[in-house]
Parts: sequence; structure tokens; C-alpha cells
Amino acid sequence: MILNEKSVAEIKARMARYPSKKSVILPALTVAYRQAGHLNDNLYHEISEITGIPSVDIAAAATFYTMFPKHEVGKYLIQVCHNISCALLGADSLIEYLESKLGIKKGETTEDKVFTLISVECLGSCTTAPMMQINDEYYENLTREKVDKILEELRNKA
Amino acid sequence: MADSNNNLVTFTINGKEISVPKGTTVLEAAKMNGINIPTFCWHPKLKPVGACRICYVEIEKMPKLMVSCATEAMPGMVVYTESEKVKKGRKAVIEFILINHPLDCPTCDKGGECDLQDLTFAHAIDDSRFDFNKMRFIRDKSATFDDVRIGPEIIRNQNRCILCYKCVRANNEVFGEHDLGAYQRGNITEIDAPPGEQVDSLYSGNLVEICPVGALTNTDWRYKIRVWNTQTVNSICPYHADGANIKLWKDRNRIFRVTSRRNDEIDEGWLSDITRYGYQIAKPDNRLTTPLVKKGDSQVPVQWEEALGLIARRFKEIKDNKGGVCLGGIISPNMDCTSVYAFSKFFRTILNSNNVDFRTEYKMLPEAAGDLYGKMTSRKFTIAEIERADVIAVVGSDIMREHPNVNLWIHKAVTRKHASLYIANPVETSTGRIANDEIIYNIGTLDAFLNGVCVAIIESGLADQSVNTGDFARLIEPNTVERASKISGISAERIRAFAKAIVGAQNPCIITGEIFTSAVNREKLAGALHNLALLSGLYKKGQVGVLPRAANSKGCEKLGVMPHLSAKMQSKLKEIWGTYPDVAGLASDRMIVSANKEELDALFVIGSNPVFNSPDGLFVKEGVEKLDFLVVADLYESETSQMADVVLPLSSWAEYADRFVNLEGRVQKFEKAINPIPHSRPAFDIINSIAKELKNPLFESKDKLQKDIDSLLEFDSADEPEMKPVEVKYTEDKKTPGFDIPMLIVDQVHHYGHWTEKTHSLSEFCNEAFLEISPALAEKLNVDDGTIVRVESEVARINLPVKISEIIDGNVVLAYRNFATSPVNNLQMRKRRVDWVKIARVEGSKA
Amino acid sequence: METKILTKYVDDPNQVKIDTFMERDGYKAWKKVLTEMTPDQVIDEVKKSGIRGRGGAGFPAGMKWSFIPKNSPKPRYLVCNADESEPGTCKDRVLMENDPHSIIEGMAIASFAINCHLAFIYIRGEFALCAKRMEAAMEEARQKGILGKNIFGTGYDLDMIVHTGGGAYICGEETGLLNSLEGERGNARIRPPFPAIEGLYACPTIVNNVETLACVPHVINNGAEWYSAMGTEKSKGTKMFSLSGHIKNPGNYEVLLGTPLSVLINDLGGGMLDGHKLKAIIPGGSSTPFLLPDQIDTPLDYESIAAAGSMLGSGAVIVISDKTCMVWVLERLIHFYRHESCGLCTPCREGTGWLEQMISRIERGEGKPGDLEKIEDVCGNILGRTVCPLGDAAVMPIQSALKLFRDEWAYHIEHGKCMVKTQFEFK
Repeated sequence: MILNEKSVAEIKARMARYPSKKSVILPALTVAYRQAGHLNDNLYHEISEITGIPSVDIAAAATFYTMFPKHEVGKYLIQVCHNISCALLGADSLIEYLESKLGIKKGETTEDKVFTLISVECLGSCTTAPMMQINDEYYENLTREKVDKILEELRNKA
Repeated sequence: MADSNNNLVTFTINGKEISVPKGTTVLEAAKMNGINIPTFCWHPKLKPVGACRICYVEIEKMPKLMVSCATEAMPGMVVYTESEKVKKGRKAVIEFILINHPLDCPTCDKGGECDLQDLTFAHAIDDSRFDFNKMRFIRDKSATFDDVRIGPEIIRNQNRCILCYKCVRANNEVFGEHDLGAYQRGNITEIDAPPGEQVDSLYSGNLVEICPVGALTNTDWRYKIRVWNTQTVNSICPYHADGANIKLWKDRNRIFRVTSRRNDEIDEGWLSDITRYGYQIAKPDNRLTTPLVKKGDSQVPVQWEEALGLIARRFKEIKDNKGGVCLGGIISPNMDCTSVYAFSKFFRTILNSNNVDFRTEYKMLPEAAGDLYGKMTSRKFTIAEIERADVIAVVGSDIMREHPNVNLWIHKAVTRKHASLYIANPVETSTGRIANDEIIYNIGTLDAFLNGVCVAIIESGLADQSVNTGDFARLIEPNTVERASKISGISAERIRAFAKAIVGAQNPCIITGEIFTSAVNREKLAGALHNLALLSGLYKKGQVGVLPRAANSKGCEKLGVMPHLSAKMQSKLKEIWGTYPDVAGLASDRMIVSANKEELDALFVIGSNPVFNSPDGLFVKEGVEKLDFLVVADLYESETSQMADVVLPLSSWAEYADRFVNLEGRVQKFEKAINPIPHSRPAFDIINSIAKELKNPLFESKDKLQKDIDSLLEFDSADEPEMKPVEVKYTEDKKTPGFDIPMLIVDQVHHYGHWTEKTHSLSEFCNEAFLEISPALAEKLNVDDGTIVRVESEVARINLPVKISEIIDGNVVLAYRNFATSPVNNLQMRKRRVDWVKIARVEGSKA
Repeated sequence: METKILTKYVDDPNQVKIDTFMERDGYKAWKKVLTEMTPDQVIDEVKKSGIRGRGGAGFPAGMKWSFIPKNSPKPRYLVCNADESEPGTCKDRVLMENDPHSIIEGMAIASFAINCHLAFIYIRGEFALCAKRMEAAMEEARQKGILGKNIFGTGYDLDMIVHTGGGAYICGEETGLLNSLEGERGNARIRPPFPAIEGLYACPTIVNNVETLACVPHVINNGAEWYSAMGTEKSKGTKMFSLSGHIKNPGNYEVLLGTPLSVLINDLGGGMLDGHKLKAIIPGGSSTPFLLPDQIDTPLDYESIAAAGSMLGSGAVIVISDKTCMVWVLERLIHFYRHESCGLCTPCREGTGWLEQMISRIERGEGKPGDLEKIEDVCGNILGRTVCPLGDAAVMPIQSALKLFRDEWAYHIEHGKCMVKTQFEFK
């Protein structure tokens, strides 16, 4: 069983608040993602066991959304916004910069499994472009200097 | 335009003024009036989603093209279905669908009956301005075609899918199944089984039929024949008493597939896989093809004349020397009306015997007519009424296994019409998923539970006013809710809730099934049900259905193919035949007992397999062995035919035309699709030939017999039960220490009786007998999926592999009756209410 | 230049605390509504104020609330749409992170107006901080008896649930949101039935944007007349605008509706970045047609922007400089819409895919003659033909770009490269 007691308790607590228990699918996926770092078939089955919702509904909903990685990712998932406001302010070159700093291409994970780099659609931070989201945090108004500092800090924490 | 009739809407479509009921969509209105609007994602039985957009129409005063499937017809609307704007819009949608649709037509099974093909052709689209590579959903890079088997009988090609979502919608909305879903989003959306699962519900075949293109195709039908080379024949499902209407697709004496022939009062276009793939029993492979006669120790092929002559001679001998009471006949209730009628007439008018029966799987059958059980079973039941019920109670039935189409009506009533559903059964069922309460009572205590419900109704003060409730206390036992609760294992609260639901219903529907009809104490159960119907006013509102299992059980009942008939029925038959035997009759189980005592000398079995299906198989075998003369006519060699003195090859229902009577009493014709497999003969033909040998033919032509049959089918031989309470005293079932696990014999979900094992498609779903047990019991026994266990009753023992159930919770175990390698009927005790067994892991078998 | 009503306290980190909020007249309107007004009176007040939906559609809020059937026995639901995913838009985030209680108060009043006892806020999954702050604020509110049972002793019960999304723009569309909230895939739904009749769990439901609801307490406290005195004849009140792109001072600014675009761009925004000249303006989020520099004086209100050929939308103003290739911009946008299409209806699902392939090919320099006409035709086959507005949203910027910047497209096709190369180096 991948989900720990805390996750199971949170899923059950959230499920009890909704008029229809099927609504807990997204919150449950979020809890699972936060604990495990990514989603997979086993987690869909576990959520199905905990909630009594057929696993097909959970898998069908989970694959609809793009926020949850469906394969294992590094400790830090770097999501760079490449939509219009960020693109206008150099998101493409930010991505290139990260690729060169990390030594990987977009979509890949570093060998030490610390960083995964992907580019995503608008993250709702258009006035502070260019920016990126790493796990749950937003890093905005990025410059090369700032990016270097952030990567170093995170590498040290890992 | 104002209408004087508030319920009708009048509007104009293509210049024609039409009127339709309020709430009708423009699409439905068009269809009702013969105007064809193309559709992909619309289906008459599914909620509209407006996904495909092909059903555009132009409506005056509305700037955009509207989808007619989701637009309600309004008074005064002016609609055009073939204007230039509409045609251009449709062409645009087809273009969108075609841009990534592969050019698979030459090898796609759907060719010739493909909506997309037809529509593209109709719009003369012969070129594309899409100049990119078509998208492919590749799982295996080396394959040319991206076909994936997602279930035993379903192959999916996602490249062809036009995402109309009909398959997932039907699977979810209509069947309530969870083995198919849509994944990802946008144009990479894929339809597939959930991770680690297959699409293998009892209704999975419908998903292929409903797919408008070749995205979902049938393994059985694949590459066999082009649809334009086939002809269709109207038929009826030969298995379940629901009587689903089907089409057999054939060419030159070979049947290729079965599809629905939508009857909105029975099947609404949905078929169970047994109905769909069960036609394969009509194939020539492994069929009995020639009469056999036992000479010495082996059964030797002979000509028909020799076999019939022998049968006639022996029957005459036994009748003349010992009397008709020494001859017995058992015919399968899956045989047509003419055959079962001829059978009864043969025994009664020629052999002077009342020993005829069609019920082989049941214990302790009634020994007289006019019993309450008989009266309850003959009550009228209408399938389509289920939809209008506000409270449905399924008592003693795994309704999906026993009546797949009735099950869908219940599902519809619950999910679309918000009916309440209560199930009372000794083991969990898949339909329990949608029930308000699934009451799993202690096995063998159904009468106690129902008595408790009756008491609860009386105590609530809501019992029907015309009933004298004062008698109940002394007539029924248990006569308190608490005692009923203790015996049945169901809390008083739940008993009272169930009672409240039934008595408070405006249009209740109670359905019972195999638990009820096969029960040793069925007369008590009938009594309890009758009392419940009385108290809740069910005889005046709603309906009670004691449902028979087989395609023609009702036909057998109405045509009197039973040993004990009411006086009313006897005199009617006497009227038709001029004679009626004045001797006692034996039900099928008594015939076996009689055989064991060597009092019954001969048995004539048609389509049935008592050695394999009747309770206490070893006892049956013993009795059959002692018979002087056994004749068996069947499609395939069977356990019973292997013991016969004469074996006759029987034609299947697809090989001639006749009729079945479904559980509603509805008489339905089925047509002949192929010639009888050489050298089989239909049952009525065999019976008449024997009669002819006895210089006493039953009929010259089949048609003449139909008149008599018709008059019997129309004849109301049923008596109403007396409208007063009856005595029902629960007694505890006998139990032997050490044997404490209750076993139920059931059909595996994808099988029926002893024939379906011969079909390759249904065998793909399941081809061996398992013992289905709950996870808790598995843990207790320290077994896992596939572990071999020894199942032992007081009369026999058998080894079976275990299957851990996803539905069963408690101690009840299920054994399947459909697989020749595992005669589970041997374990049954023919006089006992519950078949108690003990189970132990076989040493050396994996845990 | 700014009229800070909604954003008055967003710079004060204490504003998230309920005590601070209440010192500043927080929850006064909620109490007033519960103790002194009837639901109908609340709806009337909001109708009179003229608040229009701030999420993008601009539908009058009070009128929407009045669509709830009076006689339905089913429970009613209020859903606050905080899925903010329209490219260019980041205004709701400001309110959720820095003034969460104001949103709770707005949701509460709206709930009362439609007799709802369980309200939801659907926050996009990426806004983890917003969800945290909203949940914390709701808990504070429960502790103080602002939410819960028998609020202020009036017998009214109300609780709220924070529901976070999973990354799908389509779940900002009202029916996609409802499906997602129910646990289904976030596909759009056909209308009718409309959510006010059959919405969440097939019950009458109102879906409102965060900003719309945040306006409501101010209307209750100061009166509909006060609110409708601000703005223009048909666009009342203030609106938050997210200003981004090649601008000196990007940020969220709250101005009176009717304020000219030039004030936002040149005064508040500080004008273009050094060395950049204005080339195009997206006035209301990526789904809206472009405006040209000579339209910079257009007032920021629903009618004026519509008259100028675009839409006020979500109020996300994206400023594009002359150092940008417009084909490159459209490639970015169509990629987004194709990625976000739910896949339910044929024109959007297949059409956005095809459009992306064609535009991408042109952008790469491999465009073919006839491509532009094909693109326009395909756009015409999508516009107005889909279940939800995503199809229209995908198509309108393309049609606009083809109309206003056709020379750039033609150049791409003829020469195989950009007429104006996008140059912006990340610093």
C-alpha cells in the first residue's frame, strides 16, 4: 500500500463532506500526488479501495488532468510556463537556460533524480513573467541570477 | 402557433407541419415523421451529449446551426434539415472526423454497415485537403494495424474511433458496469478497459453493436464474412425467459452472428452475451449427427428407422405389460411450443402416462396441482411495467444472472426514474450495487424474513384495510419482528424499513427468482409472499413476478407439461384430446426416485441432462443406471446421453421455426435460419415419428397442431389465490456438524445450463468451474485465487479451484453448474433446504 | 488612477486574519443580509448595482441568481469559479491569497440569495497557496461562527468546501467545472439544461467568478446606487485588470470601468519597455481578438471594447511589441487551445488539432499556398458549432490575426521565415 495513514485519513475526511462521494476523486488524487510525487495505476486502485468508487472512474478522471505526472519524476518538478505572457518575456530562453544548467532536455530528469524539467500552459502568474512552478511553489520575475540561486538552494536541500 | 391540446407541439420541418408530444427533440420529431437526420453520438436509449455535431439543422431566427438531438421542438419553429447551410455544416463535421480516420475500409469488419462510410459516400467526399500524417494510437510499433484486444470478444482500434462516447455512456448509464472508460483528453482521448482489467461484463457484446464505426469489433465475427453477403432471420433468444428479440445473420446454412432486433417492451435493443454468442450451439462442430443404439457396451450408429422402431417397440412393451406409470418423460424448457406440447400429448394420449415434466434442477417438486406456489407462478408479469414502479423488491434472485434483460429494466428504473430498490438474497449480487438496501439474510430463512416483514407491516398500521390482520399472529412463525430478526440475521430496523418501503409504494414490483423456485420449502415461501402481497395491497396495485428461468418455461406451464394439472386444465385437455389419463403423475425428481426403486422402467429425455444438472447427481446416476430403457435426444453428447440405450441427434432452435412463450406469457415466433444439421431432427418431429411407429400419429402437419396450441396458450388455466392469509411456520433447517458452509449452485455469469460450454465465445469468458468465495473465507481457509480445494457434502466430494469474489462478503460459496469436468450437482442433497458443505485446501496445492 | 475597492487591503499581510478583516468592516454585509434582508431583496440589490460577471462572459450577476427556480425541492449550490486559467489573467489569485475573507463573504451572501447551504470554491490545482489561504480563512470563519450552523442566531446554516482542480483550462468553463466537481471527467455539457436549473448533482446551481463575488459585500454595505454610480452606463463598478507583456510595470490594477486603455497601459503600466513599440493589444485574455495601437484610447468597458471588435473578457491585457512575430504568437495560442480541448465535440477536438498543425507548419517556414484560406475556412467550421465557448476562443484570435496581420502570414508562407522575428532574451 503506497498511501500512508495520513493520506487515507485525509481522503476519507474530505469524502465525508461532499453530498456525493464521487466528488472526492480530484481531492483524493491531489492527496495521493502530494504524498507520492506522481500517480500510477496502483494508486488508482488504492483510492478505489478506500473510497468505494470504481477504479475506472478514478483512472478516467486522473488521466484527464495534466497537473499530475503519471510517471516517476525527480524530487523537484520544474514546470516552466510557455504560454503567451511568459513567452513574450523570454520563456523559451528560460527553458533553454534551465536545460543547459541541468544538462537535460525538456521532459527529462537529471541523473541524480533531483530535477525534472517540463514546460506547461498558463500558470496564472502573467504579471510576474517569466516564471516557473517547482512542486507547490511559484518562482516569479525570474532572472538568470535568481534561477541559479533557486537551483542551488534546492540542490542543497535534496 | 397555439395548440388547443397542451401536450402537443406543432412546428414546421422542411415545409411540412407536424405535431409531436411536448418535450420531443427536433431529431426525434424528424425520425417519427420519416425524415432522416444523420447521427453518430445519438442513441434512442442514451442521454444526448451533442458531441458529434452531425445532426445539425437550420432553424429560422436562430443564427447558429443547432444540434437537433438536443434542441426541444417548440411551437412555431421552422426547421430545415437539408438546406445548403446544413449540408455544408455536415460536410465540415465529416471532414473533421475523416482527417485522422484511417483508410481501413478494405479490412475493417464494419464495412457495409458503417455510419461513417455511408455518410461519406452520401456526401460524395472523395478527396481530402488534410495533408499531414494521420494520428495513430500505437501500442506495438511493429504492427501494421493498431488493434488491441480489450476483452475476450472485443477488439479496439483507437485510430478508427470517432469519440461518440456511446460505448462508455451505454456501459455506464444502461448496464451500470465499470469496465470501460475514456482516458486522456482532447484528440488523444482513448477508450479502453481500466488498468489491469478487461471488458468482460455480461453485456459487453452490446458495446460492439453500438459502435458506429469499426473502432470496437467482435472477435467472433472478425474477417468471417462481409455483411452484404449475409441474410438476416428473425429469432428469439433460446436461453432466458426474458425472450430478447434477435436477428440471426447467416449465409448458406451457416450462422455468423446475432444482433439485437430491438423490442422496446422486452430488451430495448440490449442483449446479454449469452443471447449474443449462444447461437454457436447451432454450429455443426461436435454435434450428435446420427442416432446411436447401445449394443453390448458401446453406442453404435444406426439409421433413424432402426432407432425409432426400437423406441416404439420398447415403449409399447412397457406400457402394455406394466402400464404408463412406468414410463416417464423429461423435456427441456428451452424447447419450442410444438415440441413440448407434442411431448405431453404423446405421453398422455398414447402412453397413458402423466409422468411428464420440464423442471430438472429443482428439489422436492410439488406433488399436486392447485398449490399456492403454482398459483403465484402463474400471475401475470409485464417487463415494461418495471420502469413505472416506484419501489422494486428482488427477493431470492441474482437477477442479472437469471434475467439479464429484466435486470436492465430494474437498473433503468433505479437510475433514471429514481425508484427504490431492495434486494433480499442469501448472497450478494451485482445488482446490489444500486440497491437502497441489499438484505443478505441467513440462507434458508427467507420465509422467516418475509414473516418478519409481514409483522412489521401490521405493526406499522399501514396494512391494507380489507385484510383481517388478527389471524396473523397464530398463522405465522416467527410472529414478532425481533424473532424474525434473530433467525434471519437482519436487524429489526432494516426489516421495518423494507416493510415500510413496500407498503408505502404507489406502484410496487416484487420479483422472485431461482432461490424461490428451486426451494424445497417453496410452498411456504409462496405463502409468505402471498401474505406480504395481501398485507401491502400488492394484489390491487403493482405486480408480483415469480419468474421462471427458461425461454419456454412459461410455454411448458401453459401447455401443461407437468405431471399435476388443475381440474380446469385437465378438463380443457380432455376437451381437445378426447381423453386424459386417469393415473397419478410423477414430477421429474420423483421419476428418479421411482427409477431408483426400479418402479420406473423407462425415461425419455429431450434436451435435458438430469445426470449433470439434477440435485444429488450420484443418486440420479444410480437411478438412471437401473432403468430398463433410456432414450436421450440432445444437441451434444452429454452425461445422460452417454448412459442411454438410444441417443437421438436433436436439431437446435435455429434449425426450424416455432414459438417460445416468455416470462410475461408473450408468444413470440422464431424463424428457421439454417437447415437441421445432418442427421438431426427437431423434437416434435422425433416425437411424432415414434407416435407414427405406434400407429398413432399426433399430427399430419405441424400447422394443424397449432390451433390446439393456440387455444391452450390463450386459455386462462390459472386460479387466483384466495384472498386470505395462509399459515407459514418457519422451521430450522437440518444441519450436520462439520458441514457448515452453505453452497449455492448457480450458472456462471456467461453461461447457461450444459450447452454453452460448447460455444467458443462464451468459453473465452470462462471455461472452467470455480468455487467462488468471499475474501474473508479465503483468508480463513488460507487459500488464494486458483488454489484447489476439496468441497465435500454428505453425499459426494469434488475438487475445485478457488476464485475470490469481488462481490460476496460472507460464508456462502457459489459453484458453477456449467462445466462437464465438474459435476457440482453431485454435492447437492435432494431433500435438504440448504446444501451444507465443508471445504479444505488440497495438500500440495498452492496457497 | 486606480480605484481600489476590491484590492484596498491586498498589500497588508494582516488582511488574511479574520480579526483584521472584521476590524475593517469585514462580514458586516453578511450579518446585515442575514438579519435584515430577504433573499429576494439581496438579488434585487445586486441586480440594481449592475455587477456583471467578471470571469469573462460579463453576464449580469443579479439576473443569473434570479434564474434559480423558486419551487424546486432540490438543494441549491453556489460555486465560486476560481479556476483562473485564461492566459494573461492572474487577478483572482491576488484576492484569494491576500483577502480570502472578502471572497468568503461574497460567497456567503450569494449563497443566502439563492438559499444554498453548501457552497464550493473550485480553485485551480496549481494555486496551492490560494487553496491553503482559503481553507485557513474558512476555518477561522467557522471558529468565529461566521460559517456553520445557526449563523448569528438566525437559523441559517452555511458551510463551504475548497475543491482544487487538476490542471485543465476547460474546468474554468462553467459546465466543465461542474462535471469536474462531481468527480467526472471535465468535459463540457450541452445547454439546455442550464446550470441554474440542473447544475451540480443535477440541482439548481449558480457559478460565479471570484471577482464578481468579491464585489457583492461592497454593494450590500454601500448600496446599489453607490456602486452603479461608478463606471459607465452598461458597465458598472470597478474591475481588476492583469497587465502583462512588453510593459514596464506589469501587475494587477483596479480601475473604474470606462477608464481608457491608454491610462492602464501608459500611466499605470508605465508604457512599453525601452526599445519596444506597441504593435498589438489583447484586451481581455488570449481568447479575445487583437486591438491595434490606434485603438489605445478605447475605454475599458464591455460595450466599448465590443464596439472596437473585441471583448473585455477576463480583463487580462497583454501588450505585444513590434519585436514580436504574430504568427509565433498564434502558434503559442493554438497550441494552448488544442492542449486544453476536452475532446467532447468533433469541431473543437479535431479542428484545434488541425489548426495547430497548419499554423505550426507556417511558423516553421513550411507553409503552403492556400494554407491561409484553409485555416480561415476551418475556423469558420468551428466558430459557433461547439458545445462550449472553447472552440470560439481558439478561433477568434486566429481570425483576428489573419485579418489584422495578414502580411506577416503571407511573408511566412512566401519566404519561409518570420517577417519580424520574436526577440526577447530572458535576463
